Amino acid sequence: MTTMIGTLRRQAQTAPIFSAWIIFLLSLLVVGLISAARVLWVGLDVTNLSNTVPWGLWITVDLSAIALGAGAFSLSTIVYIFRVKSFAPIARIAVFVGFVGYTSAMLALVMDIGRPDRFWHPMVFWNVHSVLWEITMCVVFYSMVLVFELAPAVLESRIVVQRFPRGPKLAHFLHRFTPVVSVVGLGLSLLHQSSLGATYGVLVARPLWFKPSLPVLFILSAVAAGATVTLGLTVFYENLVRERQINTRLRNLLAAFAGLMMLAYLYLKLWDFLATSYYSHLPARANDSTLLESTTPYGVTFWWIEIILGALVPAIILLTPRLRRQDIWLVLAALLAMAGIIVNRWNVTLSGLVVPMDWSPGAAELFAVQKYTPTAPEWGVALGVLGYALLMLTLGLRYLPLFPKDDAHH
Amino acid sequence: MAEERFLTRREFITVVTAAGGSLAVALALSEIEPLQELIARELKLELPEVAREAAAQSGDARHRWGMLIDLRTCIGCQYCVYACQAVNDVPDDMRWNVYLPEVTQTGEPFHMTRPCLHCNDAPCVSVCPAQATYRRDDGLIIMDYDLCIGCRYCQVACPYDARSFNWKAREGASGYQPEWGNAEVERRPRGVAEKCTFCIHRIDRGLAQGLVPGVDRPATPACVNICPVQARIFGDLNDPASPVSQAIKSLPTFRLREDLGTEPNVYYVPPEGMAL
Repeated sequence: MTTMIGTLRRQAQTAPIFSAWIIFLLSLLVVGLISAARVLWVGLDVTNLSNTVPWGLWITVDLSAIALGAGAFSLSTIVYIFRVKSFAPIARIAVFVGFVGYTSAMLALVMDIGRPDRFWHPMVFWNVHSVLWEITMCVVFYSMVLVFELAPAVLESRIVVQRFPRGPKLAHFLHRFTPVVSVVGLGLSLLHQSSLGATYGVLVARPLWFKPSLPVLFILSAVAAGATVTLGLTVFYENLVRERQINTRLRNLLAAFAGLMMLAYLYLKLWDFLATSYYSHLPARANDSTLLESTTPYGVTFWWIEIILGALVPAIILLTPRLRRQDIWLVLAALLAMAGIIVNRWNVTLSGLVVPMDWSPGAAELFAVQKYTPTAPEWGVALGVLGYALLMLTLGLRYLPLFPKDDAHH
Repeated sequence: MAEERFLTRREFITVVTAAGGSLAVALALSEIEPLQELIARELKLELPEVAREAAAQSGDARHRWGMLIDLRTCIGCQYCVYACQAVNDVPDDMRWNVYLPEVTQTGEPFHMTRPCLHCNDAPCVSVCPAQATYRRDDGLIIMDYDLCIGCRYCQVACPYDARSFNWKAREGASGYQPEWGNAEVERRPRGVAEKCTFCIHRIDRGLAQGLVPGVDRPATPACVNICPVQARIFGDLNDPASPVSQAIKSLPTFRLREDLGTEPNVYYVPPEGMAL
């Protein structure tokens, strides 16, 4: 006990900021654990979710975390399938961010389902007609792909090598299978990243959701934001350790890739808006949109956060050489893209749910627009998941060789 | 050269022994009876009892159960709601069968009630990731509460708000018992979805006793039996002679949101003054 306190004191003296950061993250985790315990003990009654708005903050966390982890599959595809050597130094950090994103999403999902003890049921009781079944299977298998792709970094880390000297040899052995595994990972990712949008897009009863663009919007936004966040995190880390990890050429290539994907997303989003809300008039959809915009801040958040701040500004930063040369702009682009994704996933989820469905044949104004504000336990669990993600990123960047110095393996 | 080998002989033997040992332990455990039952229930393996239960759950394809609700005669007493609450032991803050005061396009008030519509092409069935809700051969859309993971996608997908979720553990008695009936089915646990079953327990027991659902009261849904003005008619839509089929043939009817293609098995007779 005394030695532990001594170690902590030395740690606090030598690295006060790092210690404070870790304490902050641990307190987030404590908040998360207390909230999670309450949810598991009392049940989902502690949330503000209801029979009309059954999905809310946690589904947003889950969708956002998976989207922000999309850099893993897109950048590994470039490195391992298209064999673009210059992208190789970014592959590991991308896979690691993906791993953190997917595990965070699973934590949020386990809290969200009413029977966490049955999380495995979709894997045994298949309903191949369900988009959610397909997502579950893909996410489970893709997480295995991520573990496999991440294994070399863990096996080559100092902690492992000290206890298991043959780690790097095993890593080298595993690495030989990476191209095959990457192809599998690409297929799984394309499927479930799109299907998350299809979860909403296939529901015929909800006019705001029922459109074929949602799956494509989901995957494009995920690829764009995932790559932006991976790049932003890398640049932020370079500033922490005061050492460049990727060269200027790769940095420019990554920024251009992310920026172009962001433009593609914006283009599709523009035409999605034009085709469904400007050039066409489906009464059900028009009514729902009017209702939504008159009762919620949907319109403002859609244009200002999703489109301008969350996509257009990052795209401009990423595609302007003068801006992307400066670290601060790239970090800002990553933060904005992250906000854009989170607000988009929130807006998509809640827009379809708060607007009431119209099944009664009568003409009375029956159901009011629903309000949904997450409760303290819901925020608590979300903060806990955030704490987990940040702690994983911190520890990973500190203890894993995520930016390999030698190119022997690539 | 030997130290270059990825796996030594000793390690190979260790791994194979460990794997074989685990398998042996797993097989030995699966021979213990209580565990066997548990595994069978969870995985629905082909044990004799479990198989029989599954056959009873699939329904008889010769029937297709449906309902007609006559909005001209409904007086809005809500007895159907109360009887449903009592018989199916539904929590007081939840409704399987919903009542709504409504008006026609010309402003005439009428009374709308809505059970689960038991769609032929039910969105809740196609979205369920775990086969927890399914369509029986006799058209009933049924929940298997033991399979439900509580993801609530069925609630999000149902166009008729016909699904409820157990947000909390059930406590206390229903406020509708015993005046409107007694619980005839088991309570649902916290964390699973539930919905109207057309009183499936009455239908199945009635058929086994040679009764005709919709004609013989013990085999007929509680909401239909209690209606003081007989606004609800229940029966076999596959039988052209059944009262419900006869009524649908002779009266003008519509179904809710037919444009969605869900093909509900609940038909409505429009109230006076409502254009179809």
